[in-house]
Amino acid sequence: MEEPTLRYEKIDFLGEGQFATVYKARDVKTDKIVAVKKIKIGSRMEARDGINRTALREIKLLQELQHINLIGLLDVFGQKSNVSLVFDFMDTDLEIIVKDSNIVLTPGNVKAYTIMTLKGLEYLHQNWILHRDLKPNNLLINREGILKIGDFGLAKAFGSPTRINTHQVVTRWYRSPELLFGARQYGTGVDMWAVGCILAELLLRVPFLPGETDLDQLSRIFQVFGTPTEEIWPGMKSLTDYVQYKQFPAQELRHIFSAASDDLIQLLESLLSLYPPRRCDCTQALQMPYFSNKPAPSAGAKLPMPTFLFKMESEKPSLKRKLMDNIDGGSLAKKLLQF
Amino acid sequence: MMPGRIGHLPISSENPLGLSWHDSAWIPSLNPSNIMDYFSERSNPFFDRTCNNEVVKMQRLSMDQLQNMTGLEYVLLHVQEPILYVIRKQHRHSINQTIPLADYYIIAGIVYQAPDLASVLNSRLLSAVHHLQNSFEETMSYSKYHPSKGYWWDFKTNKSGPFNLGQSAPKEVPSAPKEEPSTLFQRQRVDMLLAELVRQFPLPVTQTAANQNGVNVKSENTNDKNSEKASDGNNMNNITIKQEPVDPISSEMTNGNMQGHMEIKTEIKQENMKPPPEKKPRAL
Repeated sequence: MEEPTLRYEKIDFLGEGQFATVYKARDVKTDKIVAVKKIKIGSRMEARDGINRTALREIKLLQELQHINLIGLLDVFGQKSNVSLVFDFMDTDLEIIVKDSNIVLTPGNVKAYTIMTLKGLEYLHQNWILHRDLKPNNLLINREGILKIGDFGLAKAFGSPTRINTHQVVTRWYRSPELLFGARQYGTGVDMWAVGCILAELLLRVPFLPGETDLDQLSRIFQVFGTPTEEIWPGMKSLTDYVQYKQFPAQELRHIFSAASDDLIQLLESLLSLYPPRRCDCTQALQMPYFSNKPAPSAGAKLPMPTFLFKMESEKPSLKRKLMDNIDGGSLAKKLLQF
Repeated sequence: MMPGRIGHLPISSENPLGLSWHDSAWIPSLNPSNIMDYFSERSNPFFDRTCNNEVVKMQRLSMDQLQNMTGLEYVLLHVQEPILYVIRKQHRHSINQTIPLADYYIIAGIVYQAPDLASVLNSRLLSAVHHLQNSFEETMSYSKYHPSKGYWWDFKTNKSGPFNLGQSAPKEVPSAPKEEPSTLFQRQRVDMLLAELVRQFPLPVTQTAANQNGVNVKSENTNDKNSEKASDGNNMNNITIKQEPVDPISSEMTNGNMQGHMEIKTEIKQENMKPPPEKKPRAL
């Protein structure tokens, strides 16, 4: 029990949330910088079921997954009654980069981020796992410019036809219309929609569909893509939470994303199809012309880094905030998940 | 890239010199602060929407960021209120280094691409050669031959025959220089451009002199060339059908060449002003 704690040498405190505390540490054995997430045992009530649910999901799934674009779970160790998870150390995340107005995201940068996200997600989907909480904040980036999908607190296996899932997943702005209509059976489309919203946010530098309530979210979606009819989306009206919306006409995406090339618009249209079966999957998306046309995706070293990272080497507020989000369960969605 | 998608697009993109664009809704309110917005209207065929300006605009960042980017950008080069704006398309390699690609001038709200020197010289050479050729053909028709007499000139009998051909060409040639001198401004500008080019790409002294001579000859024909060039460009843009009748008429009309030319010019302008609504779909 003492061994693992000796292996990781605490460097810095990164953050504290409801369920865990995160430290930056050095792995003495490999001399690598890692992030150690120490799960709190919590109150007696929470401890009743054993370990915290999101931590359990991360341990269960991540230890079987290995991909350059997924956050690596390097180690799990117990100490007294605590459990700690050791992750790759990531310098920043996409939300920080999107919000940094000193950074201009060139078409090549956008393409690089999108490719890395889709590759990681393709691997996940091939292993029958839905991430269910994709957002810029969960796309972690290290200083080599490698993007890794993080936070598997909501991830779950999919594909069993009888399984009923909760629809209260995915942070609202990135939630697909079928989830908002209360679909209980869904597939990779929910992640693809989120990727579409993230791509749109990379282009606009503000959230594409910042709904204030679930109803407002749907109305924002329909204001852009047009209110779907039963022809466009067969079976829509039989969804649990279906509500009739005012008829909005569809807008031209090329007018919203004025500097986007035609092949990029094509990808966006495919990712953000209202009818879930019409959405492309990761493999199809990666084969679209956008990814083989010019400009080439920026190389990792050329991707931008937030300026403060190099000014204040010691402090990493980005990661701190990010991990606290993870730990807290951040969004409303996650809290509701604790059924 | 995609042949046959829009038939006219590849042709007009090959030679944008014959194009013009305007949006009449904007014209009354144009000023130096909104001229770039006007130029970046979606329907403007001269504006490449994948340029850095549009990337920065879409990301809601400050236009100052353009300096730090590399690639295609547009800058407002010159303002002569209230009528003339010059916008430059350039490729930025670093903060200090840019390479101009093209200039566009907006006169009274109508956007044109400024021709590069090579196409000006080319078109003037072409029209000079064209007139020379016409005069040779004309001359040939007056030459007669008989086995016993040999060759002789016969100006009387032929006049009735190739009347049209005969009269238009010779009259145009002598009258053209009189009525179409270039303005002082035009000559000075071209001289300036040439001088600049010579400075950039130094040549042996004798050759530069030759160049300048060439320019003078050409700039005298300015109007002629302009009209020709415009018609060339319009041929490519499919506005041909309207334009083509103009040229034959002018060359057939023996009287008042000056008027004929004026007419050509105004007609071009009108045509350029009418089509933009139609051009929009093509430009996309």
